[in-house]
Amino acid sequence: MKKIFALLMICSLVLLTGCGGDSDNKKSSNTEELKLGMIRHLNITETLLDNYFEKAASRMKQTADMRAPKHIFFDNMPAMISALQSGQIDKISTYDSVAKYLLAKNAAMEISSDRVPKVSDSFCCGLREDSADLKSELDAAILKLYADGTLANLVKTYITDIKAYEDLPAVDMPNFDGAETIKVAVTGDLPPLDYISADGKPAGFNTAMLAAISQQIGKNFELVDVDSGARAAALTSGQVDVVFWVAVPLNNTLAPPNCDKPDGMILTEAYFSDEITHVEFKE
Amino acid sequence: MEFTELIYKIFIKDSGWLTILNGLWVTVQISALSLLFGTLLGSLMCFFRMSKFKPLKIFAQIYISIIRGSPVLMLLMLLFYGVFARTGINPLLVAVITFSMHTAAHVAELLRSALMALDKGQLEAARTLGFSEFQAFKLVTLPQLARIAKPVYQSTVVNLIQWTSVVGYVTITDLTRVINNIASRTMQPIITITGGMIIYLALSYFIYGIFHLTDKKIR
Repeated sequence: MKKIFALLMICSLVLLTGCGGDSDNKKSSNTEELKLGMIRHLNITETLLDNYFEKAASRMKQTADMRAPKHIFFDNMPAMISALQSGQIDKISTYDSVAKYLLAKNAAMEISSDRVPKVSDSFCCGLREDSADLKSELDAAILKLYADGTLANLVKTYITDIKAYEDLPAVDMPNFDGAETIKVAVTGDLPPLDYISADGKPAGFNTAMLAAISQQIGKNFELVDVDSGARAAALTSGQVDVVFWVAVPLNNTLAPPNCDKPDGMILTEAYFSDEITHVEFKE
Repeated sequence: MEFTELIYKIFIKDSGWLTILNGLWVTVQISALSLLFGTLLGSLMCFFRMSKFKPLKIFAQIYISIIRGSPVLMLLMLLFYGVFARTGINPLLVAVITFSMHTAAHVAELLRSALMALDKGQLEAARTLGFSEFQAFKLVTLPQLARIAKPVYQSTVVNLIQWTSVVGYVTITDLTRVINNIASRTMQPIITITGGMIIYLALSYFIYGIFHLTDKKIR
């Protein structure tokens, strides 16, 4: 009986080793489909995004030998990085600022160059259609912050000049007695733009910008930590009034600008823009 | 970077440990309250389910089959983003309501199966010996019911703690959400998630320990 059990164990080990070897081969092959991990968007689906990239890649194939990746969405950053570590995806598709933060925090990673169409997104705040007045206030405040250079300073402080392992502390939100309170959804999944500091408070560029907007419009902001996958539900149900980082593609030859905007949502003026970069683990 | 230094930066630096404790406290609060209300509601549902009054029995059957058959995350999101969306109700309260409802369905079924496993002859004997209905329940049925239902109830408690890990979807910062936030900030998901798992495991073994102690007391 013991011999049969030992034999079975050896057979299973051989089988398991075989399976593992196969997945490694798949990953190393250059001609295989490129699997890209991405944080779940508000509206656009994996299939739709793949279709946009396929069309763009086929247009550019003759001149630049482009190829279309397969996108896999994740509800949060830890799940995506774990998938990259385990080889379930080949690379992470994220913004350049996030990629630099990632590299600063994890020295085992590097930015990779791929023959994939380049995309840049601008970031807007999303609101419900019935919040047109609030949108006007936010638009005016964002444009003013652009004009007086505040936004450029915030980008410098919170994104460009950020150093590894030196997360800036959470910004204290202004408090106006008796003023209306607006609930804003933050996810913590897009550092250094949106992350939760060690003491559990929402921090990063987005919150610093929000504090500046609050000063401009004289309203209180309450930051609500919500999972990326539940942002749309939180907004449409009225549990929050504003969601951050709705992506609007700048290169509309790849995808229409409103591809990530769900029905019933309106967008503010863009407050930041960034190029999409791919990150992988070093060999 | 050394491993110990990494652990320090992930779990301890800048009051990180305090944030983890706060998340753990939220998980414990939701679990404890849901267990309390879920057990009470579950006992009531079990009573309805075994009732001879048909409408009550059918109501309990429908309740149990719907709640046991639907994923708890869907129920939680339906209540928070649908039913209670415009009421301004505290998300913690919605979580307690959801998990109490979910636990109740499971407790009702485990109590029913325990009741069905009891020897009816003993109850009849007690009644013949002059015990009142309440005395027979308290002295004959209840001790045996507790003994039979205990192992499954213990699993339900541990399952409940694990079910609560989805409350991040309804704006609650529990232990899982704190762990995810730390992993996103530090970009070290495997170490952080392993740390989170150890805390959940410790909590589960704490529950097993409590049940083990009560076992000893009974013996």
